[in-house]
Amino acid sequence: MECVRLIVGVILPYIAVLVFVGGMIWRIVTWKKLASPAMTLFPAPATEGANAINTAKEILFFKSLFGGDRVLWILAWTFHAVLALIVLGHFRVFTKYVDVTLGMLGMSDDAIKAMSGGAGGAAGIVILIALALLLIRRMALQRAREITGVVDYFALLLIGAVIITGNAMRFGAEHFELKQTHDYFYSLATFDYVSGMDVLKNNVFFVHMCLAFLLIMFIPFSKILHFGGIFFTHQLIRKQ
Amino acid sequence: MSDADVKKDADLKKKVVDAVKAIKKGPRAMRMYMEMCAKCGTCASVCPVYFGKADKRYNPAERTDVIRRIYRKHCTLSGSLLGKLAGAEDFDPADIKEWEKIFYECTGCRRCASYCPFGIDHSVITRKGRAILDQTGHTPETMQKVVQVSLETGNTDGANPAALKAAVEFLEEEMQDEHGVEIKIPVDVEGVDYFYVPPSGDVLVNPEATMGLAKVFHVLGLSDRWTMSSTCFDGANYGLFTGNDKDMKDDNKLYVEEAKKLGAKTMLMGECGHAYRIMKMMMEKTGWWGKLGFQIANCMQWTADHINNGRLEFDKSKNPQPVTYHDPCNFGRSCDIVEEPRVILDAVCADFREMYPNRGDNWCCGGGGGLSAMDDIQDFRMEISGKKKLEQIRQTGAKYVATACSNCKRQLTQLMEYHKEEIDVGGVHDMLSRAILINGKAAEREDYV
Repeated sequence: MECVRLIVGVILPYIAVLVFVGGMIWRIVTWKKLASPAMTLFPAPATEGANAINTAKEILFFKSLFGGDRVLWILAWTFHAVLALIVLGHFRVFTKYVDVTLGMLGMSDDAIKAMSGGAGGAAGIVILIALALLLIRRMALQRAREITGVVDYFALLLIGAVIITGNAMRFGAEHFELKQTHDYFYSLATFDYVSGMDVLKNNVFFVHMCLAFLLIMFIPFSKILHFGGIFFTHQLIRKQ
Repeated sequence: MSDADVKKDADLKKKVVDAVKAIKKGPRAMRMYMEMCAKCGTCASVCPVYFGKADKRYNPAERTDVIRRIYRKHCTLSGSLLGKLAGAEDFDPADIKEWEKIFYECTGCRRCASYCPFGIDHSVITRKGRAILDQTGHTPETMQKVVQVSLETGNTDGANPAALKAAVEFLEEEMQDEHGVEIKIPVDVEGVDYFYVPPSGDVLVNPEATMGLAKVFHVLGLSDRWTMSSTCFDGANYGLFTGNDKDMKDDNKLYVEEAKKLGAKTMLMGECGHAYRIMKMMMEKTGWWGKLGFQIANCMQWTADHINNGRLEFDKSKNPQPVTYHDPCNFGRSCDIVEEPRVILDAVCADFREMYPNRGDNWCCGGGGGLSAMDDIQDFRMEISGKKKLEQIRQTGAKYVATACSNCKRQLTQLMEYHKEEIDVGGVHDMLSRAILINGKAAEREDYV
């Protein structure tokens, strides 16, 4: 068991980051190399600057989807916006400097804890509800159900498992020590002897992290690649 | 199965798989579409075909997946290892008959691309599927025939120069009757400013559009500054629809050469969406033939400009019936010609009404992508792909649907007949032709209203 903890706790993080970063770079470089003749879809922005703004609207507000399927838009936008917040929030787990910075801005430790518990806790609940509704929609609506394959359900379930284990840590009895994770990620990031290994003894944390790294590695090689692709595909059809 | 059949299937499979594998090498859009569809189903909810019948085979994402599954099988590690679990499946030669149907059940209207959260344009994959069919000799017979005729005669009707000249003479006589003055339609005149390229239907089948344009030239005093060609009078180009780039370029080259021969300064495209799209957005934009020496314009832009400048006058009472405009997908979504037809119709009709949604959001007539020419799928076009359009037109209460595309016209005319609606279908310049004032008088004809 110690051996497994060591592999997952010390080696998997490096592999996951390498696979994710390498995979995304490979995708983007490959895309960039391919010819992209104009295939303008109107109404199209007149200038490249306006096209970039249009793409930003698509990325931040899912502009096209807003016109296409309003119900899906509400669910998908909520899901992704909260996901972005949660990813940001996780930096507090990776490094102590988030708390240090907030402290310098005048927030007391208690206030930071309250914010983390309140906003983070709410985010965990909201994203789980959004995900569940997305899954229900996928199963209930014929037009989505009939094009959904095993791999599509797998992606949703994997994300669901990451969220549930994350929530279990926050709301469960076995809460982890923030100090330990700071030490742990700091030593990973500095390629130092990995300290704070005790945090891996927290089973829920262990499973949560393990699944999260799997998910990260899954991104460049699955439909979640839309995370990178959306930066390009709208430009392709809207450029004049 | 005989040895010959086995070999034939193996050949077919190799050709199909190779063509799908080629997607790895681009274009960029096609490859990205293979890699990032989230399967959310939004495309289906905005697709005219899926609206007509909610059947899996009509779901745009499913149609694209037909090719994507093969791509996954041969171009991804997970697909080759996990097969169906990873959404991968090999091509089965027995499926080719189904391919012939399925890739001609998409009208290529690009409405899906307007609403897809990632801007995935399924028409690109439809055209890829059709290209594969074409390479393997499986283009539906009706389509293949149109391409053949077009490459042999320069027009999709298979008409010869004598027929064109006869039609033009007839139109000149008509206009003489209507207005009591001589209004010319010049043919094969070199060294003029404008070379008019209509769809052949606008000369041979619904010729009012060409009469309308001739009248505009007449009023402007430019009757000797334009010409048609007796060999190149059909901008329609079915290479776009069969996915065969070579056919598309061969057909296109005829027209570019003719424009050069005539020495025209402007190629004035008629009321034909895909013809204008190929000339303007593809040929001119990406420089198929290098420097052209002439520009591409559309007759609706040209006429609308002259209306905006106050050079043309009309008697709206000649078009008293409620008129609506159907945006052809190729003019609207693909070329942004949306305001010009409205300028014209607003000026020449007493009661112009919009249908909703319109412009770039408009629903396809159900005959796009060349489907309109396929009589073998008429039931599909009338009952399924045209269903939304019928509903939209009915809601306007219009008695005349103007549209700027021969394919849309054919589809809509059939749709109205099939569903027993007494609604006329015609062109934009057709309406102009009935209302334009020449020497202060509109056309004298009784059979219009």
